[in-house]
Amino acid sequence: MQIITCFKVVPEEQDIEVNSSGSLSFERAKLTISAYDLNAIEVGAQLAEAHGANLVGLSAGAANIDESKLKKNALSRGPESLYLVADNGLADMDTYQTAAVLQAAIAKIGVYDLVLCGEGSADLYAQQVGVQLGQMLNVPTINSVSKVTLEGQHVIVERTLEDEVETLEIALPAVISVTSDINLPRIPSMKQILAAGKKESTTWTGADIGLSSPVKSIETIETKAPKQTDRKQEIVEGDSDEAVQKFLEKIAKELK
Amino acid sequence: MKILVFAERNAALAELCSGARALGTQVEAIVIGALDVPVDADKVYSIPAQADVMLEDYTESVAAIMDKAGAALLMVEPTKRCKVIAGRIAAMKGTSVITDIMEISAGLETKRMVYGGMAIRKEKAASGTMIAMVGPGVLVASTAAPVQGAVETVAFVEPSAKIKVVGRQKKPKVSVNLPSAKRVIGVGRGVGKEEDLAMIREFADAVNGEVGCSRPIAEAEKWLPKEAYIGVSGLMIAPEVYVAVGISGQIQHMVGVNRAKTIIAINKDKNAPIFKQADYGIVGDLYKVVPALVKQLK
Repeated sequence: MQIITCFKVVPEEQDIEVNSSGSLSFERAKLTISAYDLNAIEVGAQLAEAHGANLVGLSAGAANIDESKLKKNALSRGPESLYLVADNGLADMDTYQTAAVLQAAIAKIGVYDLVLCGEGSADLYAQQVGVQLGQMLNVPTINSVSKVTLEGQHVIVERTLEDEVETLEIALPAVISVTSDINLPRIPSMKQILAAGKKESTTWTGADIGLSSPVKSIETIETKAPKQTDRKQEIVEGDSDEAVQKFLEKIAKELK
Repeated sequence: MKILVFAERNAALAELCSGARALGTQVEAIVIGALDVPVDADKVYSIPAQADVMLEDYTESVAAIMDKAGAALLMVEPTKRCKVIAGRIAAMKGTSVITDIMEISAGLETKRMVYGGMAIRKEKAASGTMIAMVGPGVLVASTAAPVQGAVETVAFVEPSAKIKVVGRQKKPKVSVNLPSAKRVIGVGRGVGKEEDLAMIREFADAVNGEVGCSRPIAEAEKWLPKEAYIGVSGLMIAPEVYVAVGISGQIQHMVGVNRAKTIIAINKDKNAPIFKQADYGIVGDLYKVVPALVKQLK
């Protein structure tokens, strides 16, 4: 049994800066694994541990995702090996492009029973890559999965929707996207971090998977920080009785 | 321009059709089975309702109608189920879905939130049919009386892969109604233990407010239901007063409360970003401040 967990490498949100024009600067932004994908990796790790399956990590993006610290971070969370499609031709992809590249990479990996994705990426949160990938692989696909149980050649999943919870039986192979409250991703132990350095990782270019420049379907016109509401910022320092009293006087009319 | 509309709920379908009038010259709706509300559409495609299939199993049927109708835009209600349907159709057609749109212009330029709410991205479809997920309230309803055109029954297309529904359970009705609350108290990581929520509830009662929370409180700690989570992937609220208790003010949370008329912050960390985004704040221990406020307010 082979499980593939897909994850996206995104800029660390706290490091993104807003320029005076409102545009964003990523110059100081470190790269990190998209938070919602950590849940997908954890699901894969738990299933692999419980059923003796082999877990593989897969990511696609610009050349800079091929970075040793990132790879070690991903591998310390449970995957036995890692595949990256890292190519500057694959920077800033839309969801169709991303799914197409992942599909080509999975075809090259060759074997899979279950593909796991996070519900959406921390940067764009379109919540589409998992379902598009499932469709491209021509296998069943579902989103919003809040529990996964593996039973032979199918999975039983719990799916949390707006006002109901469904239990579904899905034949493998399949692609499922899991919610961010499905588990608490592990904090890798020293042992897991050390072991990660010895695990195998393969990096391909777009040409290696036969897809160097998938066609863009969405055109970005601009990305700008919204105007912030001006706030009064009347801040009282300290929590002495007088300070609390002063604070209360300020807010009393708001809370009456 | 022809716009095709698909929704999970008929009320949303009616709303989207009405709003689509301002964007397109021709509006056509896709329904499963019969309509129980009038919709403002020049034509209605009806897919016969099937026994024992889930909504997602109509994906191929909806895709077939798209081919037949030849619309410039497919507008879809942004529910979880519709996200699967729209995404699968986009994959079939070689395109992407623009999800969770906040605005759409006559030229079909859309705006949506990116980077956890740090920015708004303006984008449009590069080619072919555009697929967009548009929530309630984004479009302005047409004031004209709805005129419903002819209903055309189309064949159900067998899905390529069926998923078996083993069971369904209605979620318990949640007692919080944050979107309509005038005052909301938000709790974050600064609150140390679940039992300390009692103190927060007492504070909420004293000001006639409801209690909401940041993502970790709902998802990691599970102290409050997910329906109480305020932030980029949760609720976006616009109360008169929002009081952030032990919340640092991360952007992902703040986009959920930016529309509050007044923001009040209680946090012991002087450097917490929340203070830059608050009208009133106190740098102090919430365990001292909150009980003192409750005592005074009572």
